Amino acid sequence: MNRKSILILFGFLLFATFTYAQKIIKGKVTDVADGTGIPGVSVLVKGTSSGTTTQPDGSYAIDVPASGTTLIFKYLGFDTQEITIGDKTVINAILSSSSQTLEGVVVTALGIKRSEKSVGYATQTVKGDNLTLTKEQNVIGSLAGKIDYGNVSQDINPEDIESVSVLKGPAASALYGIRGQYGVILITTKKGSKGTKKVNISVNSAFSIEKTANFLELQNIYGVGNNQTFLTLTGGQKYVNGNDESWGPKMDGTPVRMFYSFYPQDPEFGQLTPFVPHPDNIKDFYETGHNINNGITVTGGSENIDYRISYNNAYVNGVIPNTWLKRNNLGLSSSLKITDKLSVGANVNYANNNGQRPTQGYQGSFTGATQWFQRNIDIDRLRNYKYADGTILNWNVNPNTATGIVTNNKPSDWNNPFFDAYEVLNNDNRDRLFGDVNATYQVLPELKLSGFVRSDMFTQNITHKEPLGGRLVDSYQIGKYQNEENNYEFLGQYAKTLNDISLNFNVGANLYTVKYSQQYQATVGGLSSPGWYSAAASIDRPISTSFLRRKQVRSVYAMGSIGYKDTYFLDASIRNDVSSALPNNNNSYWYPSVSGSFVFSELVKWKALSFGKLRASYAIAGSDLSPYQTAFTYGPGSNYPATAGAINTLLVPDKLKNPNIKPSFANSFEVGMDLKFLKNRLGLELTYYNQENKDQIIDLSVSGASGFDQTVVNAGLIQNKGVELSLTGRPIQSKLFTWDATLNFARNKNKIVELYPGISVLQNDLNTYSSQTIYLNSTVGRTFGNLIGPGYKIDPGTGKVLLGADNMPLFDAAKDFGSVLPDFTGGFQNTFKIWKFDLGAMIDFQKGGQFMSWSKMLSAKSGQAAETAAINDKGFNVRDAIAAGGGVKVNGISQATGQEVTAYVDARTYYRTNLGTRIYDEWIYSASYVKLREVSLGYNFDGKVLAKTPFKTAKLSVIARNPVMIWQKAPKGVDPSELSSGSSSISWIEKGELQTVRSFGVNLNLTF
Amino acid sequence: MKTIYKSIFSCSLALLMLGSCTKFDDSINTDPNSPTKASGTQLIANAELFLPGISSSPYGVHYPQYLSNTSFSDNSRYVTVNFNFYGLYTGPLMNLENVINNANLDASEGPVANQIAVAKILKAYYFWHMTDRWGDLPYTEALKGDVNYSPKYDKQQVIYNALFTLLDEANAAFVTGAIKNDIVYGGDVAKWKKLGNTIHALMALRLSKVDATKGATEFNKAVTNGMMTANTDNLTYPHLADQNNENYWYNSFTRLGRNWFAVSKPVVDYMQPLNDPRLPVYANKPTNTAITTYVGLDYGLPGSTTVTIANYSLLGSNLRLQNSPVPLVTYAQQLFAMAEAAKIGWIAGGDVTALANYNNAVTESIRQWTGSTTGAATYLAQANVAYDPATALMKIGTQRWVHLFLHGYEGWAEWRRTGFPTFLAPPPANNGALIPRREAYGTQERSINATNYNAAVASLPYGGADDLNARVWWDKP
Repeated sequence: MNRKSILILFGFLLFATFTYAQKIIKGKVTDVADGTGIPGVSVLVKGTSSGTTTQPDGSYAIDVPASGTTLIFKYLGFDTQEITIGDKTVINAILSSSSQTLEGVVVTALGIKRSEKSVGYATQTVKGDNLTLTKEQNVIGSLAGKIDYGNVSQDINPEDIESVSVLKGPAASALYGIRGQYGVILITTKKGSKGTKKVNISVNSAFSIEKTANFLELQNIYGVGNNQTFLTLTGGQKYVNGNDESWGPKMDGTPVRMFYSFYPQDPEFGQLTPFVPHPDNIKDFYETGHNINNGITVTGGSENIDYRISYNNAYVNGVIPNTWLKRNNLGLSSSLKITDKLSVGANVNYANNNGQRPTQGYQGSFTGATQWFQRNIDIDRLRNYKYADGTILNWNVNPNTATGIVTNNKPSDWNNPFFDAYEVLNNDNRDRLFGDVNATYQVLPELKLSGFVRSDMFTQNITHKEPLGGRLVDSYQIGKYQNEENNYEFLGQYAKTLNDISLNFNVGANLYTVKYSQQYQATVGGLSSPGWYSAAASIDRPISTSFLRRKQVRSVYAMGSIGYKDTYFLDASIRNDVSSALPNNNNSYWYPSVSGSFVFSELVKWKALSFGKLRASYAIAGSDLSPYQTAFTYGPGSNYPATAGAINTLLVPDKLKNPNIKPSFANSFEVGMDLKFLKNRLGLELTYYNQENKDQIIDLSVSGASGFDQTVVNAGLIQNKGVELSLTGRPIQSKLFTWDATLNFARNKNKIVELYPGISVLQNDLNTYSSQTIYLNSTVGRTFGNLIGPGYKIDPGTGKVLLGADNMPLFDAAKDFGSVLPDFTGGFQNTFKIWKFDLGAMIDFQKGGQFMSWSKMLSAKSGQAAETAAINDKGFNVRDAIAAGGGVKVNGISQATGQEVTAYVDARTYYRTNLGTRIYDEWIYSASYVKLREVSLGYNFDGKVLAKTPFKTAKLSVIARNPVMIWQKAPKGVDPSELSSGSSSISWIEKGELQTVRSFGVNLNLTF
Repeated sequence: MKTIYKSIFSCSLALLMLGSCTKFDDSINTDPNSPTKASGTQLIANAELFLPGISSSPYGVHYPQYLSNTSFSDNSRYVTVNFNFYGLYTGPLMNLENVINNANLDASEGPVANQIAVAKILKAYYFWHMTDRWGDLPYTEALKGDVNYSPKYDKQQVIYNALFTLLDEANAAFVTGAIKNDIVYGGDVAKWKKLGNTIHALMALRLSKVDATKGATEFNKAVTNGMMTANTDNLTYPHLADQNNENYWYNSFTRLGRNWFAVSKPVVDYMQPLNDPRLPVYANKPTNTAITTYVGLDYGLPGSTTVTIANYSLLGSNLRLQNSPVPLVTYAQQLFAMAEAAKIGWIAGGDVTALANYNNAVTESIRQWTGSTTGAATYLAQANVAYDPATALMKIGTQRWVHLFLHGYEGWAEWRRTGFPTFLAPPPANNGALIPRREAYGTQERSINATNYNAAVASLPYGGADDLNARVWWDKP
């Protein structure tokens, strides 16, 4: 901001304040609980019309007429306090929350605390203490395969979190512009407090164990093979091969040569072993994981300074052998009051993550075992994966039938899982530094100017070692990823109360810069010396890439609000963004919001109603796109080292960029009502919204015959309408027993109104396997995200399945399986206080939303699924010969004759070639579920017990995460509740990467 | 840092007052990760990288039954129906289109006329391959980027005519002067010119069932313009001993360790009794040393059969080295075409010319595959091989099938056109499936180019559905 604009701003404000130069009483209103200032407290002079509200830091200044004798401090959720003025000129008030506390302060955009009643949109705030209920160590999720590299939330020490605010809808987050289009999650970190000379130390220790659970139901009758006849070696011994399917002979104890008997190094070389099932051979691969977390926090302060130092250390051992994660967090926050008006502060957080994780992807680790494996393998026999001479023991290889020895020891699809775990190593290390430096100048009691520089930077190294002896060429991959994001912010806040009118005015500017770079190298063609993991070891020309992304967004914004009699509130904001990623001639865009609320409980004198508010908002949120999408470029092709000289090919990329891209806008309208009854013991929040995204910037899939298969365009009109309901209550309240409950419910209706001229389908995603493709398509006139893929061909007359000449179901390549979006979702959170115990339970639920279980499909295709060895209605196993009463019973219409047919068909052909390959009807399920996500039980030691100890407070809790799936529509073994926790925005397919993990832990919190 | 503050200060006022400080340094939105310039020959080279895929396909190789599956026999039993063609448009064809329409080609990489002519020949070659697989396809409205994201399908006849024209243009345009960055011919444009005309003749012959008049005209045009004269003119993709540029079958057998492909019984059973000198190249003897002959694997066995791999002839080791070359358009195939053209009267000379070309074709085929003509004369002298005017088309067709070994899509096209060899039977016990006569369109077209897709399917030249059994235009029943 240059000098001229500061002067203009000052001129306006000075004018406003000179008129009120009278006798003033100053002070600060703080919360007894944590000593922090409370903003928005009504400060009234009893018996007069004078009044004001406190500033964001809790301070106030009020003009007191000669007749004034008493100040009244009134704030929702706190007990009202009256203080006699006497001859004091400074009056500080300390408010304590009233017994029926319901959070009255919300942290809104830009961290501005506001009274709940004054905001015209829905917000939800969860206090840090309550977060223990949900603060699952992110690292656990990471080890289960859900890696979200670079997500900052992974680097925040949960102990540092003061509160998490969820700002819903564009009006709430309008000031965040692009980044807030879909709502904002605002994490407020804890601070020390000034004025308290004593030092507080608290320590936190937690320990938990993780266990895998919820495995698919598999059959234990038939072992590996393509048919039920044992194979024989030339010498006459029966043997089983390295196939990864279980369509073979009955596991009836017949002595056979197993995989290890083909290795001359093996003690059982040449020997026969009974062919029997190993029902737990998948489950027994996994280990019990554990998680140790220790932290210490020191807070304190004096007259002019406050500080908070925290350190946290976490160590996680994953359920997959030889995987772990270590994390260290160090946090320092401090603020210094230089003068009464000027204060500066800094928050610095350092996080280091160091991990060894399972290989991602389909064939990466043992997560594919329910899909392709042998029911007859003893997992313990794979544990010692390497013989003394270095030979790797593999199950997915075949012996030479003449010699009974493995000569080609390269597995065709699957490594020994223990070789994967102990030799194929993925390591990553991330150092992250984030925080801010800020300065605040309280120019006048009503006017505060602040400046922030916020930075977030990380450097991450990821390596992958692929050793000799597995299915792949030995290789080494190394990547270095660096990101630096900076926000330079200015914020001016003006607040003033004139009699019944409260005014707030904020103006701000922000410069956002991001610079991301990566360097990646991978060897090709093998390593020139075995075990030499270096890019320099590449036998052929290595892959070597560099990538740089830079972007800037310049923003200015202003927000004003006016309140009247604490009853009527009106907000308006406007923001301008200028994005470097948009075409130079069209890179600036404005968007406004307006919202209002009416606290009708101030007017309605109905005793039962403690609070009642109507709110409405309308907002437009603008957005841009990621950089480098507005000009055509070529792409790098592979290198052909011809004898006459290397040929470096270049190519026309498959995605067409667009020089005419425009910023896009989402328009949203929202109305709602917040009600609280019976001294806040019962609350209801209801919101209805209607959002329209027009000309969104999307990557549109187009016919590849155009020469491109994607293009970036402004396209479409997508409508989202919905309701959100939150019901809170305290059904029981007594000295020994209190029950608090919150029920959240959300329902969204979505419609694609328009798309792009000539194209009525937006192809969001696809998955191809066995040459069959399933699409996630959004079609004009319908809802977002329908699954289209191969399925039963239906006879239009009867609605029955059409059968071919062999009585196998015919398939239709493009069947519609419905939308992946749920009908509704919700959560039910309960907290019970029983004597000194706190008992918490969180239940999640969802109705509808289709998803595909690829695990389930392939477990059937490979002959492992229980149903592939079921008993048919004649009492015979479906795998028995049809002539002998076996076979799967099918019913349908013969395509050739049009007649209804009931027949028995070969189980392998039915499940492997047909259902497991191209009848997706059988593998697409509704995601409906009710799940107990978490239960916790805490005990607070009381003062009497602690009096003899150095501790001020002590709390012990036990927590079970993910203990029970209460009900689900999909079959056992797939967990629909874990689907949406992946990194992509819509998860609709499960490939075995989400093995359910249950966690049980103990937590101890102590303060000194 | 300094510049950042400068920009904050200089912009703040303007932003606050006018909301318009919209100038950024030009470099910030310029993609530093991708080149803004590509030479014509670099794009042509990239299009050439896709050439081996025309032959090395685990689908195409099964239609004329060159290989059988030892494990996972689904492909040989036609489980896959829909084939996505996008990769050929967005890959090689879009690169070539960019060269053909580029007004600023760099003459320092070889005469611009030659760069464009080579691009046109490759474009014709790719489209020819594609229309023979799928039939009607987007052509006139294709490859136009944002001008048309929903191109209509053109009739195969329209595409053939357009490709003849394209090849004529290329033939007429060549001037002296090599081009750079040429993977297949080292920039020798004389070879490119011959290739264009050989492709022209082979395409013309495809019309034998449906439009012999047009076929004969185009064939003669190609002959006049000058075709290949030796195996050294062949279009053969040279793979390298380099993982980035290795042979597909090497990757499958050696890199992935999968002995999944054996030479099929029809191939071995035809070649072995004739002591065909090419068989030791096409096939290995079984690793089970108790077996001394070549043993072809039954074609299209059900997946429930477990094959003892040691007892069968896997694909010949020399055809699956890391740098095994992939023959695509060959002199011998041209000679078979000449023999057939003479026999059906498209060119002069009748049986005399047919015989000469036939003998030449077999000899050159043996030279191509074995490196010498040793044994060719003996081979040709056998009654089952020797040219016979009464069975000439059968002999030509069957020998051509032998010659085109491993080039599944081409062998399949000639089988569809001629019906030779006659001894290919559909896989047993496979729901009555017939040997495919076409590949179905990729399923993406049904949703993102629905109108044009539906129109194309509604007007398949000989009816039927979008599946493996409908016929393309030149495959007249």
